[in-house]
Parts: sequence; structure tokens; C-alpha cells
Amino acid sequence: MKLKLPQLTFWRVVAGIIYVIGLYATFLRFGKGLGASTNLSDEFPWGIWIGFDVMVGVGLAAGGFIIAATVHIFNLEQYKAIARPTILTAFLGYSLVIVALLFDLGRPYRIWHPLIMWNPHSVMFEVAWCVTLYTMVLALEFSPIFFERFNLKVPLKWVRAIYLPVVILGVILSTLHQSSLGTLYVIVPDKLHGLWYSPFLPVFFFITAIAAGLAMTIFESFLSYRAFGKRIELDILVGISRVIVVVLSVFLVLKLQDLSHRGNLPLMFEFTQESVLFWGELGLGTMLPVGLLLIPKIRENERGLFFCALLVLLGFILGRLNVSITGMLNTETYFPKWTEIAITTAIVTLGFTIFSIVVKNFPVFPLEDLETMPLSAHEKNPVFSVRLVLGMWGLLLIAMIALALAKKNELNHQVPQAALLNRTVNPLEQKLEYPPPFEFPPGKDSPGLVIFDHEKHNEYQERPDCKPCHVDMFGLVIITNVPAITHEMLDKGELCGKCHTGSGNENESFGVTKEADNCDSCHEEENGE
Amino acid sequence: MSYAILTDLTRCIGCQACALACKEINELPKEDGALKLSATTWTMVEKRHDVFIRHQCFHCLEPTCVSVCPVTALEKTQEGPVIYHEDRCIGCRYCIMACPFEIPKYEWDSVLPRVQKCIMCYQKRVSLGEQPACTSVCPTGATVFGQRDQLIAQAQQRLQNHPNRYVNHIYGVHEAGGTSVLYLSDIPFDQLGFKHARSDEAYPKLTWNILSQIPSVAGVGGVMMFGLWWIINRRITLEQEQKKNNSKSPDSNQKKTP
Repeated sequence: MKLKLPQLTFWRVVAGIIYVIGLYATFLRFGKGLGASTNLSDEFPWGIWIGFDVMVGVGLAAGGFIIAATVHIFNLEQYKAIARPTILTAFLGYSLVIVALLFDLGRPYRIWHPLIMWNPHSVMFEVAWCVTLYTMVLALEFSPIFFERFNLKVPLKWVRAIYLPVVILGVILSTLHQSSLGTLYVIVPDKLHGLWYSPFLPVFFFITAIAAGLAMTIFESFLSYRAFGKRIELDILVGISRVIVVVLSVFLVLKLQDLSHRGNLPLMFEFTQESVLFWGELGLGTMLPVGLLLIPKIRENERGLFFCALLVLLGFILGRLNVSITGMLNTETYFPKWTEIAITTAIVTLGFTIFSIVVKNFPVFPLEDLETMPLSAHEKNPVFSVRLVLGMWGLLLIAMIALALAKKNELNHQVPQAALLNRTVNPLEQKLEYPPPFEFPPGKDSPGLVIFDHEKHNEYQERPDCKPCHVDMFGLVIITNVPAITHEMLDKGELCGKCHTGSGNENESFGVTKEADNCDSCHEEENGE
Repeated sequence: MSYAILTDLTRCIGCQACALACKEINELPKEDGALKLSATTWTMVEKRHDVFIRHQCFHCLEPTCVSVCPVTALEKTQEGPVIYHEDRCIGCRYCIMACPFEIPKYEWDSVLPRVQKCIMCYQKRVSLGEQPACTSVCPTGATVFGQRDQLIAQAQQRLQNHPNRYVNHIYGVHEAGGTSVLYLSDIPFDQLGFKHARSDEAYPKLTWNILSQIPSVAGVGGVMMFGLWWIINRRITLEQEQKKNNSKSPDSNQKKTP
């Protein structure tokens, strides 16, 4: 048999370039560390690998548990057609989130530690467990496709037997960790902007993840059609879009209620970068698609539906970035370094590549889908104007995502003005307790003991200063490392010789060379001689 | 019984002896001129206008960092210091994110980085019954080490004896649920940029209130979903059985059309 080389297409070339850059960035990340390969800092410890790869990635994969529940618990048979591609997306999504985490963790080889070192008080601990378990659940949910492909009847039977409890476990785990990603930020009330901070963050994260997961199934159906000619009934997608409208409306009401309850509604109308991005998330990415999806003509048009789903997705991405990056009030500014962007792009591309490989080799899509009519046949009334408007809003949202990342940071801990402070006390007036006089260990030819008196030594300085001598010359805590000083050391400019050069310029200190003939400045005279 | 450090800003002359002692005992590089805390500077004295402020870890009574760490790499010891177990840390940096005082720092330049912060000389001094390096070298008694309740009493005594010298507040008694590092000052703390951490409540409660709901959410959710599935499935089975019966004897059920 002849080995078939994959054909070179435009997208394959693009993917290839992304992988090469991503590999180089990977080399930088693991070869040089986080400091060299990211723009993260102590002020901004979490960047896009957390804010985008994890927060957004997990949310977009939420379709998996919703569709699984719809089909297997609520028994809505018509959604079966999208169950498999959705579960595949979720499985890939979670696997890639774990890959992203390996990049972000300072010690990635210890990623398994939370499984054996328990801290139930930590939200991160809970997320770690849930994500681990849910990834296994997704593997189980996906496994029938694998077993069918290789005609493994026994394991297929076993999986089918436990399928329902597995699905229910998946729903519980998803509910827990989708919301817990929001709970992560409940512990930073002073650092997260008032437009986003709320004890109800877990609720908001859960609801928006449902909307995003569903929007992702619509989005992906259209991509699959374009890429593989596999398509899904429009009716199903329209049904999903109705659910999105309900879910997002609930979110809008709760969000505005929460803002007003916390007295933060006015923040929306202050013209700050935060408020602009907030409107991007809530206006362009939530209210607008909800409004558009209420219009049947747009909802039942393939392109209208696709663009609305895209808006929901972009709004969701912006929303997650707002919490994780824009909303963080910091003294430092963060913009991802090229390496961070390159690795994120490579991970996303990897998702697309694996998805297309799996779709081509496994029975992911129902068979009859192969012979459906082309898209254009369905499209009797293209709504061009809507397409244009939606496209423009979409571009605006993308610009906002860029803006969210490039955000200048707020004056969180502003240092108060100097003029306001009037001290009632002058600490220098108090009596200082100097350390007791110190006896240097004498050298061989020492003409007399050298005793160092801190108080006398400090008389010549404006304020007591320990630094000049204690930075590297003499120990402060463990005074055992003072050697027997020889004049050779002093001549070289070490220890006392560092300041006592006899130049008379800088510190007007006397010289301490052997020739200086002022031995009694330091050495005590021997008794009686 | 737990230890604490009391720093009296009216006595601090900014000599940096504490900062140098810290570097020496912890074998940190002594490069000069550190303007803020970092992975290699665990305490330092900042001159803010005319006031010298010593920065260090607050060693909270209910530390946020300890509560957020997924692998218990941070620990609040019985003696008071909050210490770090390097061998557990996975490097998620949630502690750095969450600390209300922005204390933990990361070794960004290292390939295998650690979280670094003041550990109150736990292994080298406090666990052996000695005081930390920083307080041991202070020439003015501006920063002292002792039992927390005794230090609070001592601070209250100072406030009583010199009402004109101090603002009437001991920072750290209640802040963030109470800390093991206390401050006295002659200038209101918020004017010095001290974070007015939500004074009455410890931060870990914020997330614990939510996390503690998990067992009930999981339990109720699981039971509800099994229930729903059972009801729905039962209905479908009944419907199918009825259909079967209908097809067997079409005459008797003419009203119910398929």
C-alpha cells in the first residue's frame, strides 16, 4: 500500500506555521522559565493562560454536559444527532485545558499533587478534582464511539450499562467546577472591580457557561458543515438558540439585580475603560444576540443563527477576560507576551486538528448526514443587512477583547499625597540602643586590640545607618564570619578599607594603611609601654 | 499561645537592619536598593513621605494563602508563623492572587520557581525558642517579638500612656480577621497606604461559605436527576406499551388517535 501524504491546503499551511512558532515558544517557556516567556509578575500572577485557556476553554466545553443531560436524562431524542460531536468537543476542550495548565504551572510535573495533598478549603483543590474526574467521565462518554469503530462489543456493553450514572456524575461535576471557576475570584473583594465582583460569581459563571456551551454547539455545527460537509438539522439548532435566549435573559436579570443590590449600577455609566468593556460584554455580547434571536427571521436563517452564536461566544470570552484580567485592579499593566499568545494559538489550533482527524476516522456524526443538501439550498432569504451589522458588532467585540487585554490599570492602592502628612513624632529624638562594642579578633602582629564602638562610629553620620558596613562586609545576625583582619585586606580595599581609604574626599575617613602612622585610631595601646 | 511581631512606626529610624538581618539569615542576595518586597527581599523598610514603614508578611490568624492553596503547601503553624512547604507547591500562584496584603512573591526568573515570603524565621529561630533575626537586631525597639496577647496589651499600654503620640488604633488586631504582625503609628493607617482589609471577617470565609454547599448540591442534584430520568423513562415505556396494546386491538381504542 502506498503511504498517503496529507494534501497541502491553505489552512494546513497556516496550522503548520502556528505549530512551529508554538514549539519555539514551548522551548522558551520550559527552557527559560515563566519570567522570560511571559509578561506575568507578582502584581499580575495570572495571565491569558488562565484567563483565556482555562476560564474560556472550560466554559466553551460546557455543551458536553448539557447535551448529554438533554439526550440521556431528559430523553429528548431529536438532540441525539449533536450529542457525539458535542461530547468530542468537550473531551478535547478539557484535555487542552490540562495542556494549557501544564504551561502555566510553575512546577507542571507536580500537577497530580492536589489528588493526594488535600485542602478542602481551597476552591482550586475542588476545581482540580472536578476537572480530573470530569475528563475521565468525558472519556467514558466518548468511548462508545471508539469501541464501535473497532467493533469491540464487550466493552461497549459495559459502558452502555453504566452510561446513565456516568452522565449524571458528569452533570454534577460540571455544575460544581463551572461555578467554582467563578468562586476562585470571590476571595479577592478588594482586587476585582465593582462591576464584576460579587459573591454570586459562581452563579454567573455557571449560567454563562451554559449559554456559551450551547452557542459553541451551533458554531461548531456550521464549521463542521463547511469543513467536512457534515451538517445538522436546522430545527435542532433553532431549538438550542431558544434555550440560549432564555438562559442569557436570566443572566441579564440576575446580573443587573446584583449590581443594583450592591449599589454598583452607577459604575456602568461612568465612562471608564471598565465600563466600556462591561458594555461590550453585556450589551454587544449578551443583550444584542438575545434581541436578534427573538426575531424569527434571523433565528431561522442559517447565517443569522451562526453570527448570533458567534456574538454570544465573543461576549462570553470578553466576560471571562473581564473578570480575570480587565477587572483586576492593579498597579501594573499586563499585556500577554508573544510567547503566551503563540502557545494559546497553538493549543486552539491543536483542538481543531484533532477534531478533524477524529471526525474523519470515527463515527462521530450520524451517517445520513453525509448526503444532505448544500447550505445554499436552504438559504432562500439571505438577510444581508443583518449579516453586515452582526459582522461589524463581531469585529467590535474582537477589538474589545484586545482592549481588555491591553488594559491600563486603575489606581488601586494610591499612595496619599505627601503634603497631607504631618508627623507628630521624630523617631531620631529617641535614645538609640546601640549594639555593645565589638572586639575584633586580633591578627598575628597586632599592636593592640581593635574594639569597634557602634555609637562612636555613628557620631559622624546624619542618621544611624547600618547599611554601609552590614550589607556585605560584616554579618549582622551571626557575627561569626568576621575574620582576623590583616592590613593586606585593608590595603585591597576590603572591610574597613572600603571607606577608610585616607583620600579624605568622600567620607572624610582617615586611612588605615600600615604606613598611615595612626595606629592608635583603631588599636588600643598596650598597657604601660 | 502564639507569637507575633509588633512594629511601632514612631520608633523606626529606617536603618534597614531588619532587612539586612533577614537577608543574612535566609541567605538571600544582598543587592542594594530594594524598593519593594520580592522573592529575594522578604522584609524591607519603605520611606513613605517622612514615615518609615517596615513591610513583611502579616502572618494572618486565618491566612488567605493557606486557605486557597490546593496542595497545603502553605501552613499556619501553632506558634504563629505562616510557613511554606516547597516540596508540595505546584506553582499555581493562587496564593499570590488571593493574598489581600500582596505578600507572597514568585521566583519568576527560575525554571523551577518557588513562592517566597517572610516565614518569621520559623525553622531557624522561632521553633528553637529564639526570636526572629529582624527583631533581634532592631536598635530602637521599633519592632519587637513576643506573645501576641502580651504584645497587644503592651500596645494598648502605649496608646494609653501617650495618647498624643499615636493614632488610637492597633493595626492587625482585627484586620483580615486578625494578624500576627501588629503596627502602631502616629499617622492614620489609611493615609500611609495600609490596606483597610475588611476588618471583621477573615477572607477564607468568603469562599468557604460557597464551598461548604457542595455536598448538598451534589446530593440533591444527583437524586433529582435520577428521579427525573426515572419519571421520564417510565412515561415513555408506558406510552410504548399503550401503543403496542393499541395496535393489537385497534377497535377498542378508536378515540385515541396516534
